[in-house]
Amino acid sequence: MPEVAGHLPGLSTEKVAWHTLTFGEGSEALDVAVPTLDDAQISVLAAHVRQARSSYLKSLPTAQIIATIDRAIGRLLDRNDPWRRKMEALLPRITGYDAEMVRLGLTGYLKTFRAPELNRFIAEDFANPQLLDGFQPTVKGGVAKAVGPELMVHIWAGNVPGLPLWSLISGLLVKAGSIGKVASAEPLFAGWFAKVLGEIDPRLADCLGIVWWKGGDEAPERAVLRQADLVLAYGGTGSLEQIRNRAPATTRFLGFGHKVSFGMIAREALDPSKVWATAHRAAFDMVRYDQQGCYSPQAFFVERGGRVSPSEFSRYLAHELAAFERKFPRRRLSFEEAGRVAAWRNAEEAKALMSSDRQILTDAECAWSVVYVEAPEGLAPSGLNRTVLVVAVDTLEEAVPRVAPLRAFLQTVGIAAPPEAVYRIGALLGDAGATRICALGEMSAPEAGWHHDGRFNLLDLVTMVEIDRSAEIAAEALAPYAD
Amino acid sequence: MQTEEQVIAELLAFIAVSDTAEAAFDRVALQLFAYQFEHNLAFRRFASHRGRTVRTVRTWRDIPAVPISAFKDLTLCCRPPEAAERMFMTSGTTREGVRGKSFHTTLTVYDASMTANFRQRVMAGRGRIRMGILFPTEQAMPNSSLAHYLALAVRHFGTPESHYLIDADGLDEARLLAELAHAEATGEPYALLGASYGFVPLLDALARQGHSFALPEGSWLLDTGGFKGQSRDIPLQEFYAQLATALGIPRRRCINMYGMTELSTQFYDAGNETCPAVKSGPHWIRTRVVDPLTGADVPSGTVGLLSHCDLAHFNMVSTILTEDAGVKVDGGFMLLGRADGAEAKGCSMAVEEFLLAARG
Repeated sequence: MPEVAGHLPGLSTEKVAWHTLTFGEGSEALDVAVPTLDDAQISVLAAHVRQARSSYLKSLPTAQIIATIDRAIGRLLDRNDPWRRKMEALLPRITGYDAEMVRLGLTGYLKTFRAPELNRFIAEDFANPQLLDGFQPTVKGGVAKAVGPELMVHIWAGNVPGLPLWSLISGLLVKAGSIGKVASAEPLFAGWFAKVLGEIDPRLADCLGIVWWKGGDEAPERAVLRQADLVLAYGGTGSLEQIRNRAPATTRFLGFGHKVSFGMIAREALDPSKVWATAHRAAFDMVRYDQQGCYSPQAFFVERGGRVSPSEFSRYLAHELAAFERKFPRRRLSFEEAGRVAAWRNAEEAKALMSSDRQILTDAECAWSVVYVEAPEGLAPSGLNRTVLVVAVDTLEEAVPRVAPLRAFLQTVGIAAPPEAVYRIGALLGDAGATRICALGEMSAPEAGWHHDGRFNLLDLVTMVEIDRSAEIAAEALAPYAD
Repeated sequence: MQTEEQVIAELLAFIAVSDTAEAAFDRVALQLFAYQFEHNLAFRRFASHRGRTVRTVRTWRDIPAVPISAFKDLTLCCRPPEAAERMFMTSGTTREGVRGKSFHTTLTVYDASMTANFRQRVMAGRGRIRMGILFPTEQAMPNSSLAHYLALAVRHFGTPESHYLIDADGLDEARLLAELAHAEATGEPYALLGASYGFVPLLDALARQGHSFALPEGSWLLDTGGFKGQSRDIPLQEFYAQLATALGIPRRRCINMYGMTELSTQFYDAGNETCPAVKSGPHWIRTRVVDPLTGADVPSGTVGLLSHCDLAHFNMVSTILTEDAGVKVDGGFMLLGRADGAEAKGCSMAVEEFLLAARG
């Protein structure tokens, strides 16, 4: 019996064609049935979601939406809840990530969607949260209201469990109807969330459709994009370009491309009493989801002049990675992924043979690799899956111009430095294109309400409808009580 | 320790006999490893780094395989590049225009390897044949190992009427169609050889004209190298089906050669009735299918990276790790294409995308 993905309000599931995706091998193999809709079914689904949105969600008070989401999240945090149990059982099999890592990751992540966090989420973007519920007076005069799109299309990518929740919940908070396309690498989470929501408030779940097509397939992609008022897509530059080109010109497009993140470690964090913790945090940022996240570090710039040298730090890091490999083993890599890791390591090995200022630390199975570089090198993507470059620098400032060429791709910088340096380097990094500076060890756990890639999660989704002061004044003249 | 002269003499003798026993292969492979370890400084460092020396290498399987990407960074020759009679370069589209280089102090062994193998696997006892070459000449592309390979084919196995169909202006379509018509009319067998992408304009031209040929019995095709972004990419099944229909040559006479700049020996299949066809080489080259991360052999039937030990490639390194995916099967291996095909899973930027961005 395959696990069924998707959520299709308004469609009869018997009439839908299902495709099977198989994960894992042998007795561990898991079949997931994903829906493949034809044009007519896509139109029916879109019409249903729009209708549900305009007849229900559109006039639902934000506070009530938050309360419902909070109840759903509460259930997913409850380890005895059947949905939570399903997630814990199946997500490791789907993604290959260590079960304990998935469990801890889910809890840490879901906690950021409780009611207080969601209120903060809104407060981040709206000085007056009531703008989402009705017209509010504005400072310049007149009144304004924030209106979410009738239908928002989400195209998710990647195998980081739970990623769809960000945009799905953002959509609900601005009262948008949503159709989301799940990634083949993790097709279940979004549908499960819609089902849990449906058990709490079926009419709210009717405002969500969860579908699938093979990434890049033109016909279904065009059919869904035609329906959208706003498209939010995750993916590589090539995929984003294609999606943008397939959406009508009048549709707003928000693309979240692949990113590169890195860490910076000041000499103050390289004291013998602190270096273990520093290395542990750095390793944790790499190990969490095997560097599949846009926030995962692909290099560490490490300052010289501390009591522990950058070269010694790279050994501490290697030790921590070896320890993590026992606790949270790396997931089994596909042949292609293993080939990428090997290609990166082989290239590094060839460079190391040519110069003495490069060292490779790895284990026999190549379950992790640290390449230590003495030379002034810049930022380049690693082989991922627990592979990283450690670059020695005289000062952290020195690294900033070296990351700047990747401006369009920079995201998170995990930093271990004294307060003064955090602000000083943070400003320089911001100028270079980074959008999030966080503590080392927290790179893979963004705070609730963070600005993903520097953008506004909710504000970017809405349009403001304003009734000008002029309309109010002119209306006065036409009032029945006018003199 | 052997001198280069002795190495060459030994290899020529080994190619000439037909000793397929692993023990014989091992003996020559270990001597060659010792020679390369001694004279090829970059290789010695590489091997030592992997903990492999003359003392620890006991069979050809222990010889550390050099990843072909290393040919772009390291000069892996036993004698200095200046001593080379010829240098072959990869077509080099992968990393910022850096191309892998293979230096040959002499082409004697390369040529002996090519001709002995071609005679057995492609000519299979038949006499010279009229050849059309869908590739530029050796003079036009002196650093192309394929151009040299095709020149050898013409010189040793082609009739005097054999000819090149590609020049500075591209495909000589008129000549090609005339040759095909000539073969059809006279019944003289005809062979077309070239890069796989070179066959695509021919298919397109014939499709445009709605024309097809029925080449006489004994005709054959040899393609190599895939499409490399030079032409539209065609699935192999379709490629051979179209060739068979367009030229009237049965698919079992459509041979695919698999060779590399980093080798001096080629692999062939016995026609492409089914794809991918089983490939194999002569007794002086052996192939392992390995796990990309550990370098250990993968179980039979499992996909891995192809690693070749080619004794004929004596001046560089004999044992290389390719970027080609393959599966070990009875009688050889199946080539499944490049190993980096699939898109990355996460939203972390990967190397390929970085290179694209860097190129702008």
